[in-house]
Amino acid sequence: MQAFSYHPVGELVRFENVGLRYGVGAETLSDVSFSIEPQSFQFLTGASGTGKTTLLRLIMQALKPTRGMIALFGQDTSQLKKDGLTALRRRMGIVFQDFRLLDHLTTFENVALPLKVQGREEATYRAEVTELLNWVGLGDLMHATPAVLSGGEKQRASIARALVAQPEILLADEPTGNVDPSLARRLLRLFVEMNRSGTAILIATHDLSLMDQIDGARRLVLADRRLHVESGHD
Amino acid sequence: MTDIRDQHSSNIVRFWKAIPLFRRDPLVAADAVTDRALISVIAIMTFLAAMTAGAAEFSASTTSRWQVMMASEVTVQLKPQGSRPIDADLVRATDILRGTPGVTSVQTYSREDSAKLLEPWLGSVSAMEGLPIPRLIAVRIDTEQPPDLLALGKAVAAAAPGASLDDHRNWTKRLGRISTALMVASALALVLVLAATGLAIVFATRGAMAGNREIIEVLHFIGADDRYIAAQFQRHFTVLGIRGGLIGGLIALFLLISLRIIGSPSGATVDANGLSMMVVPGSEIMAATFGVILLVGLVAGIASRITVHRTIGRLA
Repeated sequence: MQAFSYHPVGELVRFENVGLRYGVGAETLSDVSFSIEPQSFQFLTGASGTGKTTLLRLIMQALKPTRGMIALFGQDTSQLKKDGLTALRRRMGIVFQDFRLLDHLTTFENVALPLKVQGREEATYRAEVTELLNWVGLGDLMHATPAVLSGGEKQRASIARALVAQPEILLADEPTGNVDPSLARRLLRLFVEMNRSGTAILIATHDLSLMDQIDGARRLVLADRRLHVESGHD
Repeated sequence: MTDIRDQHSSNIVRFWKAIPLFRRDPLVAADAVTDRALISVIAIMTFLAAMTAGAAEFSASTTSRWQVMMASEVTVQLKPQGSRPIDADLVRATDILRGTPGVTSVQTYSREDSAKLLEPWLGSVSAMEGLPIPRLIAVRIDTEQPPDLLALGKAVAAAAPGASLDDHRNWTKRLGRISTALMVASALALVLVLAATGLAIVFATRGAMAGNREIIEVLHFIGADDRYIAAQFQRHFTVLGIRGGLIGGLIALFLLISLRIIGSPSGATVDANGLSMMVVPGSEIMAATFGVILLVGLVAGIASRITVHRTIGRLA
């Protein structure tokens, strides 16, 4: 029990001996321990079905671990109340594999959503959202709804939405899974730029060629229900 | 010039957008079919509720008018007493009545007038020749300073044996009881209609939340708290409630006002005196109808709020 009490404030994410099982079956994840530092860049990889999305959902607090300790921004999540959870989620940006854009909203409204739910008036964020949309190349499509966007445009809108509130960490689940290789490279460059501006990045992917494009990125490899950390290599 | 026009039209758009009824829902995806069905149900409920409230208001105001009318008039009846001359008794009773403070007018019914009142039961006046006909005196009294009716009755009976004074108290009491019963029944009907509206909103909110489960999850992930999400759903259904309420309420209002116009003395096709008594004054209809519309909006808001708060924890 004492071992769980240490979670340095500087770490954005810390897992200690985390295990998760669905129902009464075998554990999906066992003894997972790792941490994510501010401004770091890492990939979460592993074969399909090894638990990459599950691990991301544990970080997002969409799932509770069966055992072990998860600390986010220095706070033990087992002690979190609902309001505290909301405050932590506001410090994260999430890019979903299936985009999860709201179909009845325009691109601008989708991207601005994290600011809107914080109670900000549109006049206070219109300029910054427009600038962000231009940065991801969607300036001309800000009034379009997701129905008329291509897969790549939806993914860029999803990334812009994850970034708009200037999160400290960005979690991306297979962000290049639905796009062609050239667009995948462009999206990866976006992530690198974000990282340079101070956001820690965790990208879940099974695309080795994608990971090879970033020198020095740490790799968190899931295999046999366990996580192995490979430090960044040149 | 174009700039001024653009500015003007953008101001108009901003003005309408500031009103929730005309603003597009930002987060809760509108389901056209479900929303229209719900608006229709609420419109029908509001129509029934407004008509019920109108009926309650009608019974209360009409009874009240009748009670005032009956309280301002008493009747003295003189029954024939053998060979005693009834006309002399009538004069004595009339003199006493006219000399009593608080009596504003006295109208004596002649033998022919009294016989005419009995025509529906006894046949034509000529057939009643030779029959002892009771005589009537209609007395109007000052309701502000009414005379002592008990003492007046005794005085009249002493002067004219066989005379009795009827102050319509029994009728007034019965009318009051009927009015109260109608009001209670109307209030119960109103409560039931509002409860049905609330239940319709509860089921619609549950359905909408189940249908918007993914949206709710995304909202949670991007940092929305339960209060914010609940407020979105509550606003959506309150607006639907008010829209439905306005449609049903305005139809009911139109119908009630039409009845009033048809029933007014200027109406040519109906018995004006009869029907005009059966409709409620316009301002009271308006107040009752808009009260019902507000109640429906309130019920919609409360029902959706409770449902959202109960459901959101499970969805989260």
